[in-house]
Amino acid sequence: MKIKLIVSIFLTALIFISCDDFTDLTPPVQNQVSGNANFARYVALGNSITAGYQSGTLYESAQVYSYANLIAQQVGTNFEMPLISDPGLGGRMEIQSLSPFSIYTNPASGSPLNLNYPAPYNNLGVPGALTYDILFAKSSTTCASYVFANSPNPYFDLILRNNALNLGTPLEQALAQAPTFITLWIGNNDVLGYATSGGTSPAAPTPTADFQQLFGGISQGLSQYAAQSHAGIVVANIPNVTAIPFFTTVGLQIAMNTSIPWSSLPLGFVYQKAGETGIGSGYATQQELLTGKVLVTLLGSTYATLLGQPTGKFYRDKHLALPVGIDTTKPFGFHPQNPFPNAYVLDPGEITISNNAVASYNTIIAGLAQTFGFGLVDINTKFNQFRAADFTTGTVINGIVFKTLYVTGGLFSLDGVHPTNQAHAIVANEFIKVINSKFGATIPLIDVASIPGSLILHKQVKFENGYPIIPAEAFDHLLF
Amino acid sequence: MKTKILLFLVSSLLISTNIFAGGFQLNEHGAKALALGGAFTAVANDPSAIYWNGAGLSQLSGTNIMIGTSLIAPQSTFRGVAPAITEYNAKNLIFFPTHFFASHAFNEQWSVGLGFTTPFGLGTEWDPDWVGKNLAVKTTLMTFIVTPIVTYTPIKSLSLSAGFVYSFANVEMTSKSEISTLFAEEAYADLSGDDGSAYGFNAGIMFKPTDYLTFGASYHSEVKYDFKGTAVTSGPAQFASQLPNGDISADLTTPQNIAVGVAVDVTDRLKVSADYQFVGWSCYNSLNVDFANPAYTDIVSPRNYKDSYIVRLGAGYRFNEQVSFMGGIYFDKMPVSTKYLSPSLPEADRLGFSFGVEGRLFDNLTITGSYLFIRAQQLTVTDSDEIYMDPGAMFNGTYNSSANIFSLGFVYSF
Repeated sequence: MKIKLIVSIFLTALIFISCDDFTDLTPPVQNQVSGNANFARYVALGNSITAGYQSGTLYESAQVYSYANLIAQQVGTNFEMPLISDPGLGGRMEIQSLSPFSIYTNPASGSPLNLNYPAPYNNLGVPGALTYDILFAKSSTTCASYVFANSPNPYFDLILRNNALNLGTPLEQALAQAPTFITLWIGNNDVLGYATSGGTSPAAPTPTADFQQLFGGISQGLSQYAAQSHAGIVVANIPNVTAIPFFTTVGLQIAMNTSIPWSSLPLGFVYQKAGETGIGSGYATQQELLTGKVLVTLLGSTYATLLGQPTGKFYRDKHLALPVGIDTTKPFGFHPQNPFPNAYVLDPGEITISNNAVASYNTIIAGLAQTFGFGLVDINTKFNQFRAADFTTGTVINGIVFKTLYVTGGLFSLDGVHPTNQAHAIVANEFIKVINSKFGATIPLIDVASIPGSLILHKQVKFENGYPIIPAEAFDHLLF
Repeated sequence: MKTKILLFLVSSLLISTNIFAGGFQLNEHGAKALALGGAFTAVANDPSAIYWNGAGLSQLSGTNIMIGTSLIAPQSTFRGVAPAITEYNAKNLIFFPTHFFASHAFNEQWSVGLGFTTPFGLGTEWDPDWVGKNLAVKTTLMTFIVTPIVTYTPIKSLSLSAGFVYSFANVEMTSKSEISTLFAEEAYADLSGDDGSAYGFNAGIMFKPTDYLTFGASYHSEVKYDFKGTAVTSGPAQFASQLPNGDISADLTTPQNIAVGVAVDVTDRLKVSADYQFVGWSCYNSLNVDFANPAYTDIVSPRNYKDSYIVRLGAGYRFNEQVSFMGGIYFDKMPVSTKYLSPSLPEADRLGFSFGVEGRLFDNLTITGSYLFIRAQQLTVTDSDEIYMDPGAMFNGTYNSSANIFSLGFVYSF
């Protein structure tokens, strides 16, 4: 009897003691990090970068590492995104083999995961958006690419969902949420479309005067909203587009290709200058390609392997009739009658046009940020610092070495344009630094090393019952 | 590029292999000893003396069988990586180390005993996608010991014991491995091995100068294990040729222990005891894993453990003929500097608080139940040498861990 009593007392004591959770004696406090900034509702406006687009498409495992979502996580606010399950809406670039380096395009597609969210998304970054679109695009057929080039951009329908929400443009959808904090990073595509098409489509960047009007209109709208709501606003400027791997990779490879007999080429590398469709009058020496005086885009890499061959593959691939003056029996890329195509080359004039556009956009952005009292994130300067360190030790962040080089540099995804997860973390930290200094906040910086790599290795050949499973599109570029 | 990738992989294996790391000693062998905070070297008055101090068997007459088990429920959290303060919780695992002891006294002078214990072991499991996944995901180590001992009592106040230790053990550790910071894909490594036969010895002495004072000392030798096993790694096809796998071997030595204790009968009913236990962790200064295939670089990892100690205090109160109450407290010094701390084994200075009750149900059956709470001092690491993501991101952060341990033991005498 006595023992029963004692045992029960003992057990009661055990239960009593073990109920206490001792695992966390000093839980840290993470509120109050935002200072005078209020992150109750944060909205990000922008383009594909803001959306978290990587390696040629938009997919969940990259979207969650967009700089906008990383900022939201650091301040601990809810952030709704137009998530699309991996591998995105088709065409994701993956690494098939490292040596030789080859890329595989994943034909599978995922599906939208957050389509029924009953309010505008916090992340209103729309892949392909121009500055014009922040003010005017409501659908795939009212966006700049459709209005000016007759090319609908389905991302506007997917993200704005005006069929269901009917809340208007990205800016209108942003303000409809009564946000307490807004970031805006737009303008990259106003010059990128021109540059990535080798200066062909569109034939010029958004004119400076137009950019002033458009960015000014957005700024005015944001400023008026901020005046009545006391929302915090931070804008970012545009990094030098011609210094991204999309432009800096292939020309360098051509220059360093030891099988090209540079000394015996009378004209060097021959390409079509701006406006040319037939005989090429652009010439670049090995040295000029090496130093980036002439840039060859990533899209031209397929044809770079054909240099010197008597080939008309480009015209066959594009289903183009041979232009007047072209003779495909001449060595490709080395002869004016078989020049490297205009669409894959930025000649010195085009480079100047691109760089001038970026410089004037950035002047406009800086001026408007000052006028309206917005925080300004100087991404361009940051990017140029990375660029400058490429030729020395690279830039070390949280132990990882970053360069602006394609693939190995760690900053750019496989499309050579869009940032990797870790580059997004670096961008997010630049935003956070500005927010901290402008709003007296103490938001902790992101440990870049805790962000996983984002280049996807594709295991292309699988064996089933002894037979290799080969995806059908693997034969897309095979000629018979 | 190739060498760099291999280096990445090997360096992460280096880290993951420190699951062999120290502080994985288990002292949970007997509910009564636990209830006294482990201050049992000079007490050793039940069959668990075979582990604590074999000379204590001289206090037992006839044949005694003891069987018992402990329920160990550790909890660990990590906050980091500094300056981040995200909290990660290790999976709440439960372990049941079981012990069995049998003793027989031939006469006043000679006794023999046989014990089965698990003196070293550990198990931690973190989420496969947690921030320290390249350091440790799942780690288990179990060593089992069968030890026969003989106890001799030349004069009434002095007993001596000596025992032989036969041990077998197995180990498994898994972690992810970053191929490079560039890629989304990672490699997964699972190293496992066992050793079916390792040997050691132990010895004990107990000296009772007066009726109310007892001194005890015990020695447990090092046990050297030679694990043989397999490495299984998986990862992206592009790196298949560089993922080390196949047969592996690794040496592990568990430390020697020297415990000295004193027990005082303050009154007829109250006995207090104190122990100092020296743990020779310095035997563990490097960990080497050899790949049988010469194509893979063998792992040589400095661990730099230092000798450590445990100080124990206990008190037992005999309430009546049937029931005794016990309580204890101990301090366990962390054997490694924070530089080498790994989440596979969240080390820290540890405090243990225990109490228990012993009841004699019938003349020949005694039941003991005890509870031990172990609180590891919150430990903030700022000088970590552990790389959790190549090529130099250090695993700094704050560890918190604790454990609840319930023990139950039955002693049957005849």
